[in-house]
Amino acid sequence: MCRGVLSCFCLLDHSQYDLSSTTFSPDGRVFQIEYAQKAVENSGTAVGVSCKDGVVMAVEKVVVSKMLVPGTMRRAHLVDHHSGLVISGLISDGRQLATRARDECSSYKSVYDSAIPGHVLAERLANFAHVYTLYAYVRPFGCAALLGAHDDTNGYQLYLVEPSGVSYRYFGAAVGKGKQAAKTALEKLDFKSLTCREAVKELAKIIVDVHDEAKDKLYELEMCWVCEESKNMSQLVPQDVVDEARKAAEAAQDDDSDMDDDE
Amino acid sequence: MSGLRLTEGSRGPGASVAVEGAPLTRTQVPYVTGSSVLGMKCADGVVIACDTMASYGSLARFKRLTRMHVASPNCILGVGGDYSDFQQLQTMVDAEMTAQYVANDGLSLSPKAIHAFLARHMYHRRCKVDPLWNSVLVAGFHKGEGTLSLVDLYGTAYSSDVLATGFALHLGLPLLRNAHRPDITVAEAKVVMNDVLKVLFYRDARTNDVVQLATVTAAGVEVGDMVKLDTEWNHKAFVQGARAGDESSW
Amino acid sequence: MFRNQYDTDITTYSPQGRLHQVEYAMEAVKQGSASVGVRSKTHVVLATLKRFASELSGDQKKLFAIDDHVVIAISGLTADARVLSRYMRTETQHHKFMYEEPMPVGRLVLQVADKCQISTQRASKRPFGVGLLVAGVDENGPHLYQTCPSGNYFEYLAMAIGARSQSAKTYLERTYTTLADADVEALVQAAVTALRETVASSKDTELSAKNTAIAIVGSDGAPVRILENAAVQPYIDALDSTPSAADDDDDDEDEADAPAATPAVAPDAPAAAPEGGSPAGGDAPAEEPPANGAADMQT
Repeated sequence: MCRGVLSCFCLLDHSQYDLSSTTFSPDGRVFQIEYAQKAVENSGTAVGVSCKDGVVMAVEKVVVSKMLVPGTMRRAHLVDHHSGLVISGLISDGRQLATRARDECSSYKSVYDSAIPGHVLAERLANFAHVYTLYAYVRPFGCAALLGAHDDTNGYQLYLVEPSGVSYRYFGAAVGKGKQAAKTALEKLDFKSLTCREAVKELAKIIVDVHDEAKDKLYELEMCWVCEESKNMSQLVPQDVVDEARKAAEAAQDDDSDMDDDE
Repeated sequence: MSGLRLTEGSRGPGASVAVEGAPLTRTQVPYVTGSSVLGMKCADGVVIACDTMASYGSLARFKRLTRMHVASPNCILGVGGDYSDFQQLQTMVDAEMTAQYVANDGLSLSPKAIHAFLARHMYHRRCKVDPLWNSVLVAGFHKGEGTLSLVDLYGTAYSSDVLATGFALHLGLPLLRNAHRPDITVAEAKVVMNDVLKVLFYRDARTNDVVQLATVTAAGVEVGDMVKLDTEWNHKAFVQGARAGDESSW
Repeated sequence: MFRNQYDTDITTYSPQGRLHQVEYAMEAVKQGSASVGVRSKTHVVLATLKRFASELSGDQKKLFAIDDHVVIAISGLTADARVLSRYMRTETQHHKFMYEEPMPVGRLVLQVADKCQISTQRASKRPFGVGLLVAGVDENGPHLYQTCPSGNYFEYLAMAIGARSQSAKTYLERTYTTLADADVEALVQAAVTALRETVASSKDTELSAKNTAIAIVGSDGAPVRILENAAVQPYIDALDSTPSAADDDDDDEDEADAPAATPAVAPDAPAAAPEGGSPAGGDAPAEEPPANGAADMQT
């Protein structure tokens, strides 16, 4: 009887369906997961490509104070010798994903004595994220991870792991604030012929282009790659390479806007 | 019910599983073992050396196995004792170094820290009465200075200019001490190592004549190839027996 | 029915993807009295303002030495800070035991931040209501970090947290570039001067040797030093000769007020709202509540 009253109460208030990830709405949606994805969409853009000789990921880091030491608020994380990820969304949630990815890498290694293949890592990481969508006592992760990896059988791989717990393999993927524009730009690339060195420039250009100058003035560009040049090791792209690519992208952008002005 | 009740005696010394009526035991003897490791600190680096055999009891079971493990670009381990425990040590050290790599904060473990890390683990295992049955030489070069340290299955840990493990504690260490000078160079020390390895090969039945040397200098770790020792078997004593020409009585 | 139904549970996102409970925890930091940190190439200095629960009570502790090479200043709930400081002490000791080397500051802060994140994701927990300024030295030299209840952490050259920290930040933003080569005395003076900014407009609080505590740690190998009472006096005395920025001239005052007027672009908005809408978004109260409104448990 008491139950009847309660459910009646809930049905009256439509918005009661979006308070927990253990609640479906009448049309089959889980709002809390969508809201978690919203947290990602408010965050700095992250893009990644899997190309000819490697996989490269880039992320836009909004700098919150000029007194910050450059490079702090890391959004790119290495998870094993051959794999790394960049985070879009809540930084602190992202670190938990990175930590979990590291644990998966080392546990796979201790069982099989070989490096974890990219698809296995992506699946396990997605499973981890998914578990946080199933119980009322936790919340979904407010971040998405672009995961880059290399193994001898599958070559270079790029995965996107989302708060919902889905993960797909991509040639080019984008998440965060500027993902729509970034995706459009990615679609123009020829991933089969693109080299990592070129990809660094392309990604820098995408981030520079989608960056909203009006909203966030200062930002850093952080990049991570696993490629032939890095001997298939995961590493942050050297700062001078990133800076150069960013400068070139900014110069190109200025030229464009100059031309626009002329017209 | 009478049934068969196994006792400690019937289970052999290597038993490691709990059995009703018998005390719980862990590893009590090593099985496949490597023999000695030698180490010497020099003016310009550190040299460690060992042979490449793993024995199963007195059987020369495996030849040409390396007993060295590169822990980091400036640190190498030379390990004697149980070979599978050595492999476990490698896994452990590698996992630790991977954790350092992914932290990606420009910091890495110094050779001294690696030695401390191993010493803590070895002592921890010994306190569980389940030791990793090894003696480990840790050779490194950090901030312009060589380091040479040892840790054994009890967690005993110390550093010295010359170190040896296993049989070489008796036969090799005095030779190393005699040869050591503060200004000895890596090149000179390598020659000394070869001589001492030769003595060990003549006297220690758990060694072979294929040896490996490694150096750690400012340039980093360099692990040498496995080299066959140039041995001499035509000494009169070898051919005719140790007491050839000795007419005296015991 | 409710003003905001998304702000009572730590595991509930708002439709905008924000976590209100985390943002509220960030507010607790602002209720605490101010802490200031500055860094040169060789040293880090923390300066803190101590509150007294009453005339008859002692002061609430603001500085906690963690190890010989690390010290923290806290703003927010002191009891929560004690939990974190005990954790940090355990971790630094464990590192020393394991590696026979002092723990790198960044690794320690990372662990603290990860610990903070955990309590933002479970219904059975609440976030820590405290922010830390962590000062320490390691192989890479001196470091100054800030940690937040949200689990975010930042490395700064100079930073202030706590009540009216915006004034101190404004002062630091003008001066921090000159501090890189400053000697210890100048660094301490800069920290104290910045701290004074937080009480400059207050009628009933004034910086004194009694309510100021200073911590110094340097890459010279000397252990953390904490200065209190008489040891602080010289720096307080020296203050009177350096005019407060607020009294200084009108331009400065305008500048100091500007960020508060437009919180969206305030340099600290991020510290509070590191994007992604996590901590305190644009609608967070721009003005900090008066210091005397804070509960006794906040420092």
